[in-house]
Amino acid sequence: MTNKPPGRVIDLDLHLLDRQVVDRDGKFVCKVDDLEFERGENGALYVAKILVGPRARAQRVGGRIGVWIRSIAERLATEPMPTIDIASVIEIGSDVKVAASRDELDVDPLEDWVRDHIVSRVPGSRHASK
Amino acid sequence: MKFLQIALGILTAIGGFVDIGDLVTNGLVGARYGMSLAWATVLGMIGIVLFAEMSGRVAAVTGRGTFDLVRERLGPRAGLANLIASFLVTALTFTAEIGGVALSLELATSVNYLLWVPLVGLLVWLVIWRVKFSLLENGAGLLGLALVVFGVALWKLHPDWGSLVHQAATAAKPPIENLPSYFYYAIALFGAAMTPYEVFFFSSGGVEEGWSKKDLMIERANVFIGFPLGALISLSIAACATIVLKPLGIQVDQLGQVGLPVAFALGKIGIAVALIGFIAATFGAALETGLSCGYSIAQYFGWQWGKFVKPREASRFHVSVLLTLLVAIGFVLTTTDPVKITEYSVVFSALALPLTYFPILVISNDPDYMGEKTNGRLMNGAATIFFIIITIASLAAIPLMIWTKAGQ
Repeated sequence: MTNKPPGRVIDLDLHLLDRQVVDRDGKFVCKVDDLEFERGENGALYVAKILVGPRARAQRVGGRIGVWIRSIAERLATEPMPTIDIASVIEIGSDVKVAASRDELDVDPLEDWVRDHIVSRVPGSRHASK
Repeated sequence: MKFLQIALGILTAIGGFVDIGDLVTNGLVGARYGMSLAWATVLGMIGIVLFAEMSGRVAAVTGRGTFDLVRERLGPRAGLANLIASFLVTALTFTAEIGGVALSLELATSVNYLLWVPLVGLLVWLVIWRVKFSLLENGAGLLGLALVVFGVALWKLHPDWGSLVHQAATAAKPPIENLPSYFYYAIALFGAAMTPYEVFFFSSGGVEEGWSKKDLMIERANVFIGFPLGALISLSIAACATIVLKPLGIQVDQLGQVGLPVAFALGKIGIAVALIGFIAATFGAALETGLSCGYSIAQYFGWQWGKFVKPREASRFHVSVLLTLLVAIGFVLTTTDPVKITEYSVVFSALALPLTYFPILVISNDPDYMGEKTNGRLMNGAATIFFIIITIASLAAIPLMIWTKAGQ
């Protein structure tokens, strides 16, 4: 193996897909719902982006339910599919750690909507119970 | 300090072991089959010890809850099917627990249980929304220790211990009962002792409390000492019913009947303590099942979950718990008998068990996740044998339910 391509080699199915993405503060961000590849100069495929959200997941759910999830998600979506650049990943272990914060990544607009329109209006929502 | 922590963990594990499923099923089976089905409770206890130990250890080493791992191992499609099945069973158990709290309050106050349901729902939500996780877990568990009164009652009843042990050891089915119903109730007891939510809650609770490898001692003490002692409470409930209710030919179909032997043996004080135990055990389990519904959805989708962050930082988690709670309250208010809901929920629990047990068994063997903390040889042998037992119980559950018309 003299001309081993650069980059780290892992089993994507076992070690990257469906893992929990955690931000720099330890907050849970999303799952690795799907991946986007890019062809490097040497012709090898590299992981370029983590794809996030129901549209990314739908394809992997597959079957009629997958089609169903995808068509609903696409109809409701107002923005392009959220992604996380693989360059911001700093560690792949039992979770996938990224260098940015949850708010900077901004991959889950529904969570923010629920937070701003429902949960924040309930008394005590800012109360840390730990 | 460490010793206190371990002792507290064991006590809450004992008090938290029994829920509405154990109360109803053990009372019902004791009154009908005597101690002849004690083996099913013991089997369920060993199963929950193995299952909880594996998932607790995985949570401590990797910081991942049960459904994180279910999705990682099964992928989004099979994981989704698994989530739906496990969620429905847990939500049904949640409904049964809320009904159980309301029934216990009716026993204590003579106010119809349906009037208690909205108040119970509100209290469950307030506690989940506001109360510290450790207080929530320990408070309900410690109050649940009041159920030890069943052990005291059993001792005061001066039973023929030899006969009880003989019934349990020979698994002697009463001759008037048919075999399919006998096995149907064996599965019910197995499901009551080994309810899936207990594992979701135990592993996610480990993450809530920030367990690491250093806390494995606490985790193991909880499981290996606390759970078997908790199962002793289950067995004493069945034994009390065997001694007092079975000779009278009482068929248990109300929660109050489960407490009768305590009243018989210990009078007013006994029944007061038993009622505190009923309320604490069902309320504690309502909190655990409610949280578990939220944990499993949030872990599948990767949302922030848990009480270790502010509610607004885990918004969909809290909304999921709240919506499930509203549906559960609505279901109880349809006046469907909570005791019947409980009887079905324990059998469906047995049905759903392999779905989450299998991924945990695989991952607890995976050195990629676990480093040197994978299953030992003995653990793995026992856990694999139990996977076969769980699968058989799961496959037999529905055919037996149909065959026996749910145990008639």
